Amino acid sequence: MRLATALAACAIAGLVLAPAPWLVSDFALSLTLSCLMYVGLAVSWAMFSGATNYLSLATAAFFGIGAYVTAWGHGTLPYAVAVPLGGLAAALFAAAIGAAVLHLRGAYFAVITFGLGELVRHAITYGEKTWARTVGRVISDPPATETVYLVVLALALAAVATAAAVRASRFGLALAGVGSDEERARTLGVNTRLVKTGGFALAAFFAGALGAAVAVRWTYIEPASVFNPFIGFQTVLIAMVGGAHTLAGPIASAVVFSVLTELLRLQFPYAYLIVLGALLILLVLYLPGGLASLLERWKWRQRHA
Amino acid sequence: MSIARFGGILSAVALAAACLPAAAQEAPVRIGYAIARTGPWAAGAQLTQEPNYIMWADQVNAAGGLNVKGRKRKVELVGFDDRSEAETVVRTYEKLMGSDKVDLILPPWGTGANFAVMPLIQKYGYPMIAPTATGRRLLGMKNPYFFAILQQPDRMMEALAEFLKARRVETAAVIHVDELFGLEQYTGLEAAFKEKGIRIIEKKTYPLGVKDLKPVLNDIKAKNPDAFIALSYPPDTFLVTAQAREIAFNPKAFYAAVGTAFPIYRDKLGPAVEGVMGLGTLNPKSSPAAKAYFDAHVAKHNKEPDRWASAHAWAALQVLEQAVAKVGLDRKALRDAIATGEFDTVIGKVRFKDGENVTTPGVVSQWQGREFEVVWPPDKATAPALFPKPAWR
Amino acid sequence: MGFWLELIASGLITGGIYALVAIGLNLQYGLMRIMNISHGEFLMLGAYLTWLAHTFAGVNPLAFLPVVALALFGAGLLVYRLCFRRIARTSPAVELIEARSLLVGFGLMYLVQNAAYLVWGADLRGYSFLAEPVEIMGARFTGNRLAAFGFAVAASLFLIAVLRWTLVGKAVRAMMQSPAGAQLVGIDTAVLHPVVFGAGLALAGVAGGLLSMVYEITPAMGEPYTVTALIVITLGGLGSAAGCLAGGLLLGVVEALGMHFTSPSLKMLLSYAVFIAVLLARPKGLFAR
Repeated sequence: MRLATALAACAIAGLVLAPAPWLVSDFALSLTLSCLMYVGLAVSWAMFSGATNYLSLATAAFFGIGAYVTAWGHGTLPYAVAVPLGGLAAALFAAAIGAAVLHLRGAYFAVITFGLGELVRHAITYGEKTWARTVGRVISDPPATETVYLVVLALALAAVATAAAVRASRFGLALAGVGSDEERARTLGVNTRLVKTGGFALAAFFAGALGAAVAVRWTYIEPASVFNPFIGFQTVLIAMVGGAHTLAGPIASAVVFSVLTELLRLQFPYAYLIVLGALLILLVLYLPGGLASLLERWKWRQRHA
Repeated sequence: MSIARFGGILSAVALAAACLPAAAQEAPVRIGYAIARTGPWAAGAQLTQEPNYIMWADQVNAAGGLNVKGRKRKVELVGFDDRSEAETVVRTYEKLMGSDKVDLILPPWGTGANFAVMPLIQKYGYPMIAPTATGRRLLGMKNPYFFAILQQPDRMMEALAEFLKARRVETAAVIHVDELFGLEQYTGLEAAFKEKGIRIIEKKTYPLGVKDLKPVLNDIKAKNPDAFIALSYPPDTFLVTAQAREIAFNPKAFYAAVGTAFPIYRDKLGPAVEGVMGLGTLNPKSSPAAKAYFDAHVAKHNKEPDRWASAHAWAALQVLEQAVAKVGLDRKALRDAIATGEFDTVIGKVRFKDGENVTTPGVVSQWQGREFEVVWPPDKATAPALFPKPAWR
Repeated sequence: MGFWLELIASGLITGGIYALVAIGLNLQYGLMRIMNISHGEFLMLGAYLTWLAHTFAGVNPLAFLPVVALALFGAGLLVYRLCFRRIARTSPAVELIEARSLLVGFGLMYLVQNAAYLVWGADLRGYSFLAEPVEIMGARFTGNRLAAFGFAVAASLFLIAVLRWTLVGKAVRAMMQSPAGAQLVGIDTAVLHPVVFGAGLALAGVAGGLLSMVYEITPAMGEPYTVTALIVITLGGLGSAAGCLAGGLLLGVVEALGMHFTSPSLKMLLSYAVFIAVLLARPKGLFAR
């Protein structure tokens, strides 16, 4: 039932948002695209990290790997092929490292995933410089904004639908089991290693595909911009502020955060980060359960009114 | 200083607003841009670029406004922080050109950000004259709306090769940063040295963000090259200087690329900078116009501009101003005017060919006392070169 | 021989700087599980205070470090009182303290960095101090780097000694092992927590002050240092003062050797590879407890 609701909501959102390129202003479209990108990143991050409590900082790495797949394929691979391929490359990378590092816990896991991302970034820099004699790659004729927008929309919705489907499945239960008590989950017959690696790779797919889809907008793809650690940090921030164990939380948070940051940036061009920082602190202190807890509270009140 | 800058914008806007009803003039000319005020690009952007925008708007408004084909109109800057992020650069320019439809735009800071704006300026048809974008790859995109006013890497490296050749330098050791900038500079240098018969006896590369280069410098010192050339970014420029001094590596010529032209380079390293060479275009002694520019900058912002790209940023605004005076705000006509015209600027005559500034020569500058003297080419020199470089102080 | 001495020493000194950057964060995380991601911003504040004092008042930066330490200690008490106390009190589990303090850290990072931009502008800043080379056994080092290295080693040894042999150290270690148990035996976390948090910021500030003598500073300088600190303390073992020092030194030496034997371009790759290899072999760091 809940899965069906979520899928229906996705379908409606798709129908509403798809015509945007022909209806809204360029800026509104651009802002929507940013929102959708962070919806996709935050939801896919929460799908794994929210459920299992393995805090991954590898999002920037997945994003960058995806972006480099488009960069390398530019001119030979059509955009529609490069995007899923970018996702696949990121997923493969996640599966490979997941098998090695998913026995680390807590901050150790977080920092090693970050380190692996940096490792890939420097490896790409080194490889490109040594063999291709370049550092960045130019996307000489990028796809139209409408195309990029529609692809990002599709990816964001796919991420939400997948997250909903995972939550309703045995696989999702196993992930949640790992999160609440990994030992017990193992005792109960869950192949925790397989489940963790699978979940990590699935989440990576969306981050990679989004990287492949979005980075073409920047014309010039270089390690410093596509492996920008801030993409990863911001994703974690958004998902956790929303409530990483929920589905609606990260979505709401991605939209609120992107729009709010943008409004503040345009309104207070010199001091918006002070406002943003203060708001963030207040939110964490007085709404520790995240935005999702507002929704829960509201539902609870409805029921008990 | 930031507060002063903020005040500057406010007063520019307020002035523009105040003049509106009184004279029943036309609406101000709105000029939009995104530039880094926070994040890793901010240090460069706030030294070299945005202070010039603000000072220009102030001067233009103080003189009664921008001459738009004979009619004076006030200027209103619409500037936003790009957070040192490519996506924010793209989004902001989509807003400025696509939604707000500002009259003109000014470029963001840095090669990466300029790349990101390339397809947009072509799509919306806004000419853009970039003072902090270098690279054949940018020009290779053949964007008719893009103009690079900074000297391209090969030109700067040819000047360096000529300078060294004239002083009978035979061997050189080179290090460069693993960035497009470092690679392009190196390609230019390699070709120029080959032509001039200067041997590169050692070449090393290093990643951005390096905190220690002493082992590399020690290895290079052991090979005893005549010249040492670091195709570096500001943090590494500071680092190699401090560490070469630390190990007393004192070749006849010591050259470091970006950052040597910054006043802070001299202030941070003190007397150690004596004799260090680097990328620069002019200094207050170059011409009366240059002197006036430096004085106005210090008066406005209470800090000196850098001695390389700052003046190019100012020159870009002068080109824009002269082109607008000639053809107005029709952007297609404006593009053609910029592409075909010749302009008098603080860096001398500027003319573009296929988007490249082809009149400003490659320059080598060198710290002597408190000034970054131009030492090559001879007709631009403001002082004779110190060669060989004196011992570290 | 002199060559090798210089190479290893150069690595050790850079490693000392890495350790220096990490000590404060290690203390905060080790004791309270506060993952203070704004660590680098407070380091930046320390750097700016020192720069201001030296450039505008002509104060000797080394003599000014105690003032920086005090100022940041005070700031630490305030930040703890305003932000982290509530988190420590209302979070039912250690994991939640970690997660929430991470988010608050992001907020602080934005806030402090932006404030620095407003007050000091985005320009690079710096001054020359103790930049003259000193010759030691044929190798040459600058005084400011030696000072940073010396402080890192001294502070680490001091912390190791305090934690091992004093009553306060016992209390701190007890709290690391079991916060609730520590309270049961009469350790006053209401005093100890803010004091340790303040000490963490004070150490960050002093590190910043020392670094401002070596490198140029900007309001954006904090983030890379936070990353360095995270890597160093995880490598050494979270909360271990000895691990922090060892982790920093190890990275510095690996980089110096890597730079000499391979190419400096590979040095980042090498140090991350070493970091990952160590964690794979020892999932709780070099000095795992």
